[in-house]
Amino acid sequence: MGLLDILKKLRSNPEKELRLLLLGLDNAGKTTLLKQLASEDVNHVIPTAGFNIKSVLSNGFKLNVWDIGGQRKIRPYWRNYFENTDILIYVVDCSDHHRLEETSLELAELLLDDKLRAVPLLVYANKQDLATALPASEIAQHLGLHLIRDRTWQIQACVATDGTGVKEGMEWVCKNINVKK
Amino acid sequence: MIIYNIWTVLQWYVRPILKWFLRKTTRLCELQRICYGDIAGAQRTRNVEKSLSLSRTKDVKEVISFLDRVVLEKQFVPNNFHNLLDPSISIIMRVKKINPRLHSAFISPFRSCLEQIWSYKNLVIEVEELRTIQFDSNNIEHEEKLLKLWSLLVPDETLESRISKQWQYIGFQGDDPKTDFRGMGLLGLENLLFFASQYPRASSHVLSHSLHPTYGYTFAIVGINLTAMAYYLLKDGCAKTYMFNAKQYLPNLNLFHRFYCFLFYEFDKMWIESKPQNIMEFSVIFKKFENAIRTELADPASVFRINIEVDIV
Repeated sequence: MGLLDILKKLRSNPEKELRLLLLGLDNAGKTTLLKQLASEDVNHVIPTAGFNIKSVLSNGFKLNVWDIGGQRKIRPYWRNYFENTDILIYVVDCSDHHRLEETSLELAELLLDDKLRAVPLLVYANKQDLATALPASEIAQHLGLHLIRDRTWQIQACVATDGTGVKEGMEWVCKNINVKK
Repeated sequence: MIIYNIWTVLQWYVRPILKWFLRKTTRLCELQRICYGDIAGAQRTRNVEKSLSLSRTKDVKEVISFLDRVVLEKQFVPNNFHNLLDPSISIIMRVKKINPRLHSAFISPFRSCLEQIWSYKNLVIEVEELRTIQFDSNNIEHEEKLLKLWSLLVPDETLESRISKQWQYIGFQGDDPKTDFRGMGLLGLENLLFFASQYPRASSHVLSHSLHPTYGYTFAIVGINLTAMAYYLLKDGCAKTYMFNAKQYLPNLNLFHRFYCFLFYEFDKMWIESKPQNIMEFSVIFKKFENAIRTELADPASVFRINIEVDIV
């Protein structure tokens, strides 16, 4: 079963446009994830200056995925994309130990924002194929996910470059939307 | 789609008839008509390439696959041109019944076309190889190139350490550029290095624009995005217009770098002229730029040059 099939499951809510926001530090793997979702080649990914957006259509259902650049200079502009977000997807490079604190600070700030209040959060613990990658459970601890009370959340281990775990994350997104609406 | 299919079938049958008719009336074969009639450069070379690829003559097909093989074996280099092209040309002239005595004027332009066509194919392979080499901080050569890029772009300031926030000054994302090359690998670094070393005035001019307080952008990251653009244009063949019209040079790695430098310079111009509010407008302006370049490349008469007019303001 491909990603498209999962997305087709979202049919229960026809004519609805969903807005998925992909955030995370630079080099976390947001664009690779976006390409994986759109079933595109992931070998030519380059740093995002600005943002990328892709729409995945499935039976009158439109999924707009916004992938915003993660470098420090761009982060102040993240806020401009918060409005009407249905799901927040936060991507973490689990092999980047040095910046674990930086990424949890950025996430904490996002969760405090009014525009993102109660928006369900999916964290992708990316790059699990690397030997130095921390497991998803440890990432969850670092990010303090268990302290979140005002929204549903999920953490999903994944390898964006080959698609491992990406599907499972999107399945959670599907279920969550069905419960919510 | 159906119309397209009918057209292909029609072409399959009509083309030989048309060619036969023209051959009888002009007493020249298609390759001759192209080499004599078309303007040298992209127009002529593209038409020769098309004519050869559509050929159904066994010998011509064999010549093509022979040269393709040579490219794959990395033997299509200027030193071998004589040994490779002389027999190829005489085979084609024989099967096309071109008299070398009467038509000695055909040989030289036809040879140039062949050199351009297969040098381009060779370039596609070379560029692909460079792209797939990942930047490796354990490789001394790679590291030296990166440090050289810094010293060329910022000659007045020394880099305090290899991992440093200073990298952001020339538009890398963080304090270590190594993760920024990603899918473009060493090609992205080589492109930047060529721009900085061969066009010092243009590159420092562009870098100064990128540091503008309101219209600024991330120089190196935008550069890597432009590497990707140049790479796609090369692979889908659009860059042929540029490469075949560069009269002094055959398609090779340096010409690809020049193409990149041209793109960088032109992008910067368009960016500044667009007066963007902030870097988030990059995606839109970049797309607009790509469309403009593609339109220009679609015209075989387009010639590209960096026109440096350094403004003083």
